Amino acid sequence: MTLFAFVLLFTATVLAYLLNLRAARALRAGGARLHSLGGFHGGFAALVTLLPALVFLLAWLLLKEPAITVLLLRTLPEAEIAGLGTGERQLIISEIRTIAGGRIFGSPAEWKIEAADRLLAMRRTADYLMIALTALLAGGSMVIARRRVTPDFRARQGTEGILHGLMAFCATVAIFVTLGIVASLLFETIRFFQMVPVTDFLFGTNWEPQIPIREDQIAAEGAFGWIPVFLGTLVITVVALFIAVPVGLMSAVYLHEFASRRFRAAAKPVLEILAGVPTVVYGFFAILVVAPALRALGDMLAIPIAPNTALAAGGVMGIMLIPFISSFADDALGAVPRSLRDGALALGATPAETMTRVLFPAAIPGIVGGVLLAVSRAIGETMIVVMAAGLMAKMTLNPLDSVTTVTVQIVTLLIGDTAFDNPKTLAAFALGMMLFIVTLLINILALRIVRRYREIYD
Amino acid sequence: MNDMRMTERARLMQDIKISARDVNVYYGATRAINDVSIDIRDKTVTAFIGPSGCGKSTFLRCFNRMNDTIESARVTGTIELDGRDIHAPDLDPVQLRARVGMVFQKPNPFPKSIYDNVAYGPKIHGLAASKADLDDIVERALRRAALWDESKDRLTASGTSLSGGQQQRLCIARAIATEPEVLLMDEPASALDPIATAQIEELIDELKENYCVVIVTHSMQQAARVSQRTAFFHLGDLVEYGDTGQIFTNPKNERTESYITGRIG
Ligand SMILES: Nc1ncnc2c1ncn2[C@@H]1O[C@H](COP(=O)(O)OP(=O)(O)O)[C@@H](O)[C@H]1O
Ligand SMILES: [Mg+2]
Repeated sequence: MTLFAFVLLFTATVLAYLLNLRAARALRAGGARLHSLGGFHGGFAALVTLLPALVFLLAWLLLKEPAITVLLLRTLPEAEIAGLGTGERQLIISEIRTIAGGRIFGSPAEWKIEAADRLLAMRRTADYLMIALTALLAGGSMVIARRRVTPDFRARQGTEGILHGLMAFCATVAIFVTLGIVASLLFETIRFFQMVPVTDFLFGTNWEPQIPIREDQIAAEGAFGWIPVFLGTLVITVVALFIAVPVGLMSAVYLHEFASRRFRAAAKPVLEILAGVPTVVYGFFAILVVAPALRALGDMLAIPIAPNTALAAGGVMGIMLIPFISSFADDALGAVPRSLRDGALALGATPAETMTRVLFPAAIPGIVGGVLLAVSRAIGETMIVVMAAGLMAKMTLNPLDSVTTVTVQIVTLLIGDTAFDNPKTLAAFALGMMLFIVTLLINILALRIVRRYREIYD
Repeated sequence: MNDMRMTERARLMQDIKISARDVNVYYGATRAINDVSIDIRDKTVTAFIGPSGCGKSTFLRCFNRMNDTIESARVTGTIELDGRDIHAPDLDPVQLRARVGMVFQKPNPFPKSIYDNVAYGPKIHGLAASKADLDDIVERALRRAALWDESKDRLTASGTSLSGGQQQRLCIARAIATEPEVLLMDEPASALDPIATAQIEELIDELKENYCVVIVTHSMQQAARVSQRTAFFHLGDLVEYGDTGQIFTNPKNERTESYITGRIG
């Protein structure tokens, strides 16, 4: 039935288009000078026919079941449901739904079977109503649109106006979704801070997110100081950047300026493949290759190295970021005008001097922007650290130690049995909020730098 | 008698700064310059004129081997600077470019301070023994480029913050700061307004006291105003080369005359 409604609607749309197109052509053939071409009249009619009915249809589909449920509850025998709570009523409704769906377990009460029949009848009525209303709406819009085919009607602007509206709607969807996400995060964070003082969270140096299982449990008081967790993120990010920035920049400089065309043609796709590797695979690489190798090295040098080192996780994350930084730097170097390069070469600078003294400095703002974006990616990266970093929060800056990160803690707090009314679970949202704020600030900074840089040339 | 001829020849030889023989330039398979031979005199302004796309810039770039930086370009023939082949294997193109400076059509100051723009060449070539020395070189170059008075109070300002005409004079200062012997200028005033153009032209006139200047221009008036010798190019050929006065008043070649009088171009 739903499918039929959609087919109906699209047929009406096409029909409206053709009708208005023909009407406009007829006017033209009759010698009138039209303001807009026939296609615009057709397009206008199609949009006017499609949009209201489509919105109606989607809204109907969304609201149909809830409305029917409300109506169905009213028809249930008073005696059976009197005094029941919402949860129990829900249970009854879903049982009736199951019966209506033809799956009967055991022998349900007679009144439930009757209710199931009523449910089916209601659904059928709703479907007929939906098709009738859709047809009415589409037909009505069609007539209205058809009436407007006159030589003076500005169908061209009309069509554009509707399309503008559509685009504005799509643009705001993203904004509203973002706002919604932030709002939900904020809401849970506030609930967390009602249970744990903000200062404890922001300045605490102890992270032990437990809650008492029994009232009288000893030593059950959890500690929610986010500093050690954030330190872990920081250590891993720094390690990652130590690898990604030099390697990424050097490879960009080499590929952009010095590599032969053949080498470039071979190396660029490889970098792109590196950028396309799923982070899970990097995680495997970290625990199966890098971590054991580091430990073997540590044994050889007699340095104690933890099994889950920040070095392994950060190092692999650095490899992941190489193509990111390299492609950013490549773009930044490409945006430096060729005339600067020629100018430096014509002064008798070698290609290397041209790169280090002119091209690279000119590209630095763009490169810094790219590095900052890489930082915010490193901070938010989850899979690699879940697999390769540790779980214990420690106040340490030693990359050979095992650390945990904000993202790892969020994952572990939310995995398994969770109840959304205790600080242990809500702490995940507070951590998420902090992560959001930090990466937001970094991104704003990065975008500002990148934008300022764009203004220098052209 | 014999002696006199010898000294006369020696004088002429000394006068010729650049000598090109049978130069061809190819971009991939297409030939942009056809068998051009030319002798360019020292302490003279030589103008290259001709319709757009005839190869003036391409030929100019041969003199400092900037065509090497264009991947598809290939140059054949011999070009001598002071009698030395610039394509000789033992000659370093980087060194060559320090001796043959170039000013481009669009001003291209580096995004550095005015001071650093001018000091760039002397620094990489090690021309200054000390900071004071470098200051001195920068000041002299800026003075010769007639930019000192406008810029002496803001040497640390970015070169890109200057006006178009000032930027082009900065580029000229940057080029002469490396003490080149030859100055190549590819339509140096075409992006500038008339006042800035007049300043640049005046500057070129002064520069010929010390340098061999080769200027590409699309403006015949400009060629007539600033140059002593003019070469007319058409479709990659050097059609006519002679004293500027003669080229403009009494061209020997039909094509030159057509161009001068505005029938081709
Ligand atoms: N980098 C290049 N690659 C290929 N062809 C070029 C290149 N530069 C110039 N040409 C061609 O060479 C010819 C001469 O160009 P150019 O020297 O710029 O002429 P002009 O400076 O006299 O206007 C033109 O036909 C042009 O299309
Ligand atoms: Mg040119």
